[in-house]
Amino acid sequence: MSARSDFKPLVRLFLAERRGMLAAGLALSCVTLLAGVALLGISGWFITATALAGLSSATALAFDVFAPAAAIRLLAISRTAARYGERLTTHDAALALLAGLRERLFRGWAQPGAAEALRARPAKLLFRLTADIDALDSLYLRLMVPLAAAGAALLAVGVVLGLMEWRIGLGLAAGLALAGFGLPLVCGLAARRPARRRAYGVERLRARVIDLMAGQTDLVMAGRLDAQRVAVAEADRAAARADDALNRIEVTASIGFGALSALLLAGTLLAVAWLMERGAIDAPLAALAMLVPLAALEPFAGLRRGALEFGRTLLAARRVGPRLAARDGHALPPRPPAGLAATLSGVGVRHAGRGAPVLQDVDLQIFAGERVALIGPSGAGKSTLLALLAGEIAPSAGQVTSTPGTLLTQTTELFRDTLADNLRLAAPQADDAHLFAALAAVGLDDLVRALPAGLQTRLGEAGLGLSGGQRRRLALARLLLRETPLWLLDEPTDGLDAASARHVLQSLRTAGAGRTLVIATHIRREAEDADRLVVVKDGRVVRQWRRGEGGFAAALHALRAD
Amino acid sequence: MAERSLRLDRRTAPAVDAPRARRAARRSGHAAKAAHAPRGVVSGGLLQAAAALIWIPQAALIAFSIGRLADGAGASDIVPAAAGLALLGLIRALLDGAGARLAFRAARDQLSELRARAVAALAARSPLDTGRMASGAAASALAEQAEAVVPYLSRFFPARLRMGLVPLAILAVILPFAWVPVLLLAMAAPLIPLFMALVGWRAKAASEEQMAEVGGMNAFLLDRLRGLSTIRALDAVDLTARRLRANADGVRARTMAVLRIAFLSSAVLELFSALGVAMVAVYVGFHLLGALGFGAWGARLSLGEGLFILMLAPAFFEPLRDFSAAWHDRAAGRAAFEALEALAGEGLPLPGARFAAPEGSADDPHGALGVRIQNVALVHAGRDAPILSGLDLHVRAGERVALLGPSGVGKTSLLAAIAGLAPAVGDIVIGGTRLSDSTAPALRRRMGFVGQSPHMFAGTLAGNILLGRTGFGPPELDAAIEGAALPPGTPAHAAVGEGGVGFSGGEVRRIALARAAIDPGVGLILADEPTAHLDAETAGAVTEALLSFAEGRTLIVATHDPALAARMDRVIRLGETP
Repeated sequence: MSARSDFKPLVRLFLAERRGMLAAGLALSCVTLLAGVALLGISGWFITATALAGLSSATALAFDVFAPAAAIRLLAISRTAARYGERLTTHDAALALLAGLRERLFRGWAQPGAAEALRARPAKLLFRLTADIDALDSLYLRLMVPLAAAGAALLAVGVVLGLMEWRIGLGLAAGLALAGFGLPLVCGLAARRPARRRAYGVERLRARVIDLMAGQTDLVMAGRLDAQRVAVAEADRAAARADDALNRIEVTASIGFGALSALLLAGTLLAVAWLMERGAIDAPLAALAMLVPLAALEPFAGLRRGALEFGRTLLAARRVGPRLAARDGHALPPRPPAGLAATLSGVGVRHAGRGAPVLQDVDLQIFAGERVALIGPSGAGKSTLLALLAGEIAPSAGQVTSTPGTLLTQTTELFRDTLADNLRLAAPQADDAHLFAALAAVGLDDLVRALPAGLQTRLGEAGLGLSGGQRRRLALARLLLRETPLWLLDEPTDGLDAASARHVLQSLRTAGAGRTLVIATHIRREAEDADRLVVVKDGRVVRQWRRGEGGFAAALHALRAD
Repeated sequence: MAERSLRLDRRTAPAVDAPRARRAARRSGHAAKAAHAPRGVVSGGLLQAAAALIWIPQAALIAFSIGRLADGAGASDIVPAAAGLALLGLIRALLDGAGARLAFRAARDQLSELRARAVAALAARSPLDTGRMASGAAASALAEQAEAVVPYLSRFFPARLRMGLVPLAILAVILPFAWVPVLLLAMAAPLIPLFMALVGWRAKAASEEQMAEVGGMNAFLLDRLRGLSTIRALDAVDLTARRLRANADGVRARTMAVLRIAFLSSAVLELFSALGVAMVAVYVGFHLLGALGFGAWGARLSLGEGLFILMLAPAFFEPLRDFSAAWHDRAAGRAAFEALEALAGEGLPLPGARFAAPEGSADDPHGALGVRIQNVALVHAGRDAPILSGLDLHVRAGERVALLGPSGVGKTSLLAAIAGLAPAVGDIVIGGTRLSDSTAPALRRRMGFVGQSPHMFAGTLAGNILLGRTGFGPPELDAAIEGAALPPGTPAHAAVGEGGVGFSGGEVRRIALARAAIDPGVGLILADEPTAHLDAETAGAVTEALLSFAEGRTLIVATHDPALAARMDRVIRLGETP
């Protein structure tokens, strides 16, 4: 069955994380339920027995009231304690699962292929991921825990009534199983499609709101703003229809369960009457037999809600599972021959879904210590070439070799964390002096020293707001902390004003001494230091000039000034 | 003072101003209070309360049947009672279901209404309003967070209603039989809210913190996944994964510290309900035994009566338990109400947002539009001093003009004011019509605006150019694609990814140009930095496309690019004395 294979990676995760805690949570939820059943059952037995004993003063005096009364009080207290313990244990276990799930998902998404998919559709995939994690979070608390309690309830009914008459015990347990497990199962199956529709409906609603806001200018100018509002309302209506379908299933199941449990109670009453008539049980036991099923109905309501969400959970497991199971199948490019920093021979790259290859027949040798500028129009394949050298993507044709390199991506990526932790991503062992040296190289040290929290200042929405240029410089400072022999820079000073760009380029020159530098650029200042200009156009290397060769100066001049 | 064609709503500038902040806080407080249940929720809740009360006759049937059995009745004597029990159960299930449906429908309708109101308010704000929530955050509030409204209305309110009715009814039923159990239950019940309030008081603050922290755990993951390229490039995957785990473990430890207290409140409820049941059972037992003769109005309870009281005891606590389980629906629901109210707040208005855009037709006027600007002042939201004031500008129909000037001088704001995207003070006359709230929608149809970062809609290339406008056939579409100098052979149905993935920055600008130019009725093209951040070759191609689209139209370009400015008929420098 496909559901089983979807859940396999999840089950493995469950077994790896706090197995004992998870099991203890389930056990405690059973104990809670059983204590509740026993409390009501023994109370009923006690009252009936005392009523019978109270008929004559002799039996009333002989009746041992203290043991049952104490048992009732003990059960009341132990039920409370078990419930408290259950809630703590199950939540602790669930939180541990969350921690494990997040760590594994991160590792899964950090695999090269997945990372590439994420780059192509970040907002959609990340939104999905959050929704999926939330759906999976409920698997243990909302489904597994009530399932265990329901199992205990079933057992209690079967055993207590079975001891009086095995056929009745079996029949009642079977009836309860049918109503308690069968209905949630049917309703879980029926809910699969509306649950999926609902998830997609909310996704669509979200995307359309983003389009309405981010694309408001374009929509207003085209006179389509009202149409977009209607589109948002339509997405909401679709989600509402799915919501309504889910609610109808839930309510139908709950009516069905209510009706079946009424029949079960009526049946129990008749069975108890029959057993008494036959003299198999006395009145106190009859009260016990009547009240046990009553208390045992409790956990099934929770199970029904969990089952209803099962469709959503299944969708989440299906989407998240591959990331949990993923193993690194992609190795870094092999080392180049001595004296070279990287080689590409006959390399082609083709993106799935796009007709023309991004790169084709690329032959390039980069010598150790060389500074190479990749120039050419945007979309020519410069960034793809850098990604190949960094081992971020594998070529679809040809051979790539490269020394370990560090890639500075075109878009600046900083994290909501302290300045120090953002920098230490590049060098975990670096001390503060080291970090300040890197900041000084990009001209940010004074700014950081002036901050009250210094290096411990948090970046991000509530913390330090940096301008685009300052963010770029911080990213460059992070690069300067890397000790790899090859630096791959994608438009390193784009978005910086001329003065700070010169400052940064000077620092790169100093810190980059002895390293190999490959810079993808269309700005003159970034290519000025290059030993070689390599022109990339339409996915091919079309021209190369070494410094001093005819054409080098002209090619440099054709680039955009600051 | 010059007559105002477009009024700037000064009240909406998001400057920090204490009385206004207080007013806003009061408003949102009102909103939270105003979140009363719709009528369907109340009637649904009443039906569910009625269903809960049916347990009383059911319990009576069970209890008195056992009493009769103890007195020696046979199984056949019990059959009518069993049938009644089943029938009542059926009615109870149906009533409860009907109530749940009613409450749900009313709650879901309310959600749709709240969403529509928030979306309308968002659409009525200027895209230049800096106080606007980020689109991602707004989408989260509207899509996921808003859903909490439904359980709040459809579960919490009916649970509160049941809590007000059912326990009292049960006490009223028990009272004629005996007063001691009533006293026991009535004593336990008020203690519950008292203890829960004491415990919950501390837990509330803590659990809000904890909710934020669990949310922060997701934010941490998403933040790191967004920068995955860099983390991979820095070889920090393992480091980050370990930090992620440490962060999550920290959240777990702190959350558990909070939960240990928070769960005490439910433990108190459990304890009192279990002790309540136990005390009732023990009292009834001793009473039946004759050890406690008092409490039943001088009479002696029968077995049936005793059992009846016992079975009602758990039902007395059931609504309390439901209510406490629905408590977190309330917190999430209120937060959702507040978020939606915040979205529906006022801001810098979009001129003419209340007027519908006219349908385009073939008879619409064509031809280049002149622009006359007289004594116009532009005010940035959040800034008191106007960025441009007393501005006069005249652009003839068919003229091509470059606006030059240092960054921040107000080039973008001026273009936006001409396009009617943000309010301005003074007269802006386009093609002889003064721009005002009522004329803005029709005038906008005759203008094309190419912003600095045009939004790409996930879908197809054709969809991105047409934006759902009808009346343009494949010939116009092909002409627009060709005119935009997109790579030869780009089909109209080419897929466009989220945020324009699959298209380069230059291509996105050219798609935006085609979007503005496909309508033959457009007589004025406004372009904001169309060549910024492009390489020389791509910038040249975009310039050519812009000029070819501007054929027979008026063109105003804000730019830093001297090569682009050189191709215009006239250069106007802003920020310098004329």
